[in-house]
Amino acid sequence: MTENEHERDDPRVPRGWARHPPERMLITPLIAGVGGLIAFFVVVFVVVWLPIHTFDPAASADWTPLTKDAVKGRNLFASNGCYVCHSGYSRPQDVRYALYFLYPKVSQPGDFFGSDQTPNLLGTERTGPDLSQESGWHPDDWQRAHFYDPRYMDPLSLMPSMKSLFSDSQVEQLVTYVETRSGKSGLLRYAGQLYAKHIVLVNQGFPEPYRGFQGAHKPALEGNDKILHPPKGQLEEAPNLSQIDRGYWLSGNPLPVTQQNLLRGKEVFLDRCVGCHGVDGDGKGPGASFLSPTPADFTDKDDACCGGDTGPGDFYYRILRGWPGTAMENFGDRLSVDDIWRVVLFLKTIPNDTLDKNVVPEPSDYIKWQPSKELLAWVKSTQKLENNVSFSKAEFADPYIQEAMRIFPGLAPGDSFLVNDGKTRLSLRDAASGIKTIYDDLLNRAWADARERDGKLPSVAQKAIPPTVPGQQ
Amino acid sequence: MAVRTDVTPEETRAPLTERAARPSPFPDQAARHWFLSAIVWLTVVDLFGLVLATEFVTPEAFGGISWLSFSRVRPSHVNGVILAWLTMMYFGALFYMLPRLVGTRGMWSERLGVWCAWAWNVMYALGVIGLLTGHSQGREYGEFIWPVDILLLVIWCVNIVNILATVQMRTIRPIYVSVWFFIASPIWLAVDYAIGNVIWDPGKIWSAPSGALTNSLSDAILNWWYAHNLFGLWLTPMLLAITYYIVPRVTNTPLYSYTLSLISFWGMAFFYTGVGDHHILQSPTPAWLKTIAEVSSWMLLVPVFAFTINILGTMKGNWDKFFTNLPLRFTLTAFFFYFLVNIQGAFEALQPFNRLTHFTNFVVAHAHLALLGAFTILGMGVIDYMVAQVYQRPLFSRSLTEWQYWLVTVGFTGFFSVLTLAGFQQGFSWAQGIPEVNVLPQLHAYYIARGIFGAMIVVSGIIQIVNIGLTMFTDTAERRRLETLRVAEAVAPPVGG
Repeated sequence: MTENEHERDDPRVPRGWARHPPERMLITPLIAGVGGLIAFFVVVFVVVWLPIHTFDPAASADWTPLTKDAVKGRNLFASNGCYVCHSGYSRPQDVRYALYFLYPKVSQPGDFFGSDQTPNLLGTERTGPDLSQESGWHPDDWQRAHFYDPRYMDPLSLMPSMKSLFSDSQVEQLVTYVETRSGKSGLLRYAGQLYAKHIVLVNQGFPEPYRGFQGAHKPALEGNDKILHPPKGQLEEAPNLSQIDRGYWLSGNPLPVTQQNLLRGKEVFLDRCVGCHGVDGDGKGPGASFLSPTPADFTDKDDACCGGDTGPGDFYYRILRGWPGTAMENFGDRLSVDDIWRVVLFLKTIPNDTLDKNVVPEPSDYIKWQPSKELLAWVKSTQKLENNVSFSKAEFADPYIQEAMRIFPGLAPGDSFLVNDGKTRLSLRDAASGIKTIYDDLLNRAWADARERDGKLPSVAQKAIPPTVPGQQ
Repeated sequence: MAVRTDVTPEETRAPLTERAARPSPFPDQAARHWFLSAIVWLTVVDLFGLVLATEFVTPEAFGGISWLSFSRVRPSHVNGVILAWLTMMYFGALFYMLPRLVGTRGMWSERLGVWCAWAWNVMYALGVIGLLTGHSQGREYGEFIWPVDILLLVIWCVNIVNILATVQMRTIRPIYVSVWFFIASPIWLAVDYAIGNVIWDPGKIWSAPSGALTNSLSDAILNWWYAHNLFGLWLTPMLLAITYYIVPRVTNTPLYSYTLSLISFWGMAFFYTGVGDHHILQSPTPAWLKTIAEVSSWMLLVPVFAFTINILGTMKGNWDKFFTNLPLRFTLTAFFFYFLVNIQGAFEALQPFNRLTHFTNFVVAHAHLALLGAFTILGMGVIDYMVAQVYQRPLFSRSLTEWQYWLVTVGFTGFFSVLTLAGFQQGFSWAQGIPEVNVLPQLHAYYIARGIFGAMIVVSGIIQIVNIGLTMFTDTAERRRLETLRVAEAVAPPVGG
């Protein structure tokens, strides 16, 4: 007698519903197959069909299309699996109002508008940083060297080298994509970076950097001093100082020169700086031949690293915020304020061979900096501290001026002088109009390519919305 | 008691039991091809994983070799684990179990199954060659280029036909729980794969953009709905189906509850399909979709608990076999990790927890808990079980199997723990505003440990290949018999011997 029959004989169990569940809920192949599919499609309707057909956000004010080359770069980015380590959107908690502006804004739905954004590259892991806001933080030559071998630019990096993956033209496409992918705010940053590169090269007599991976096979570039004709009576370092907030020009070290501080500075230098500045500090690191201008040489005893016009505060500022137009990066978020100062202290000992192996830098190796008479005279006569742009920043709502101030924080609104080629004028207004020209050109080319692609485009009014400078206000 | 001394040579060669001499009524040709391919792919994809682990420690390890670049090997590893190793193992198990469950002598067409196995091997080889040479659609978990997608779907549909035709000619009318999944799950996956890979839009065919929706965020929603259903509608239901088979079969105990298995089947169909968006919880996608994903991720615990209770109920009074029967031990270890991964996954799908752990190695640990801890360990046990049955002989060496079990279990547990800790390290550091690159030096030690634990898993897979190869090519039944005789003679030597 089975259990079931036993139940039927049991007077306590009412007749009629005593059938065993398996008999009522028997699954046949039809129920498993078709029923399973019905369940599946009911959910698919809600979680796939519905969002795809109802969620179509309009282009955000920050959105831009990609140029033809940038689209090719994006396809290379997708086909080679770059998204497995780099996500493509920044979250609210990523946006830090810190000094390193990798995540200056939260990604909006409208940032992903347009047919050039397929396939999605949102990603799921951040072994490397998010790249949605990467445009313009680094110049093109930095990107090329970094693609060739990421350790050249950041010795701590885990990124695979791309030297065997891409041809010269493919690298240029990738660089174009990375430099123009972040919408209008990124394009403005990139325009600033390009303008700064122009000024830096002209001012120092350097040629354009090598394209593609050519830097790996060619000698390091050299500046040509003969084409330089600095205006008379003008401080030769003035154009360089214009990229440093003038509050730092005469600043001394806040930290004492002790062995501990110097040793920590050496450690950080070996961790972060040797890819470009070299293990000897002579500016001939493995990545140097990609870069123009070439990285600074710290070994010259006579001018105590870059001359009497460049004080410790200037070094501090360049490490903290980077030097737009050169490959010098912004380390403000990666190094503590104290560590940056320790590196600055250590730099001033390098001429005494403190970078040699097993050498502990001593306070006696430290070369004390004295501001030159010319610098003091220049500060007194022309560029007064109280004219510092940061004191008057709020007056300018124009994004191009804001970007110019970011690139040239040492310029006051009234400043205007020639850079060392004797021809090119440097002022905030000139910079702003130069940046605007580059920005407009980038944007127009992207729109022209998008029209040719026959992709969906927002109204021209969207294009006219000026860019913003997120995270900088 | 007197010992017989007049044993004839014919008698010594006779099998120990009459049953062992009977040829198997099941041809199992299809099953053999699928699961033997699977164990080879397991080692291949394990080695891909080891390459990745090495590159995490020394990024220049394979410098200059473009096809060993991290970004190309990683999709090959992920797709290989799912499509080459696990899928081939699952189809092998399905082709083995289905005839036995529905009372047919073999599949509808064993030969078709064999052809499909070879075609599938070619498909994965083509796909992976494409990925390693930079031909990818660039959508996570859907990287294979369009022609490979089509080949995959054709083979898949042929397999579905084979399965349905076998079910159609069944001699046992009511179908067992496992068979529900054997019918539904391949169909779900075929639809999931076709929709998720947007196969009606081949695009550039050989590289990105191809097989993607034009609207980027819609594409992301579709991408992650599809990717999660690789687990939800194929890998997990098949784990359930196989566990529902192995546990009652090995313990010789009927399944604890029919009703609970109904809950696990329908629960899986309804709740698993909608969880995909929890992969992009912090992205700019619709909030209502995120809510559905979060709720579904928790509702998923209903079928999970139903399944868990069902298996534990079946195991009641049978736990001695956990220690003596190796396939059962593999299965229940996988069962434990499966339970764990669901609990963990439910928490990961919550916004506050997700904010901390998303983008970190915690997610990588979670993925390995499912694919390595649950599915792979189950697959190892299933293959050890099936090989013994199909070849009708004990495995070559029990101690090799023990080594295989302990290497993969210890290797995985270490791997999982290390990556979970690394994930917390990343999550808490990022939450303090420390950028990614500054956390890398802190992760170095974790990455070294991960490589060592990973190597243990690779060795475990190689041991399985050796053990199974030796089982196939030597007569282990005869060897075991002679060993038994030797022991018997040592215990009770023949008189005058």
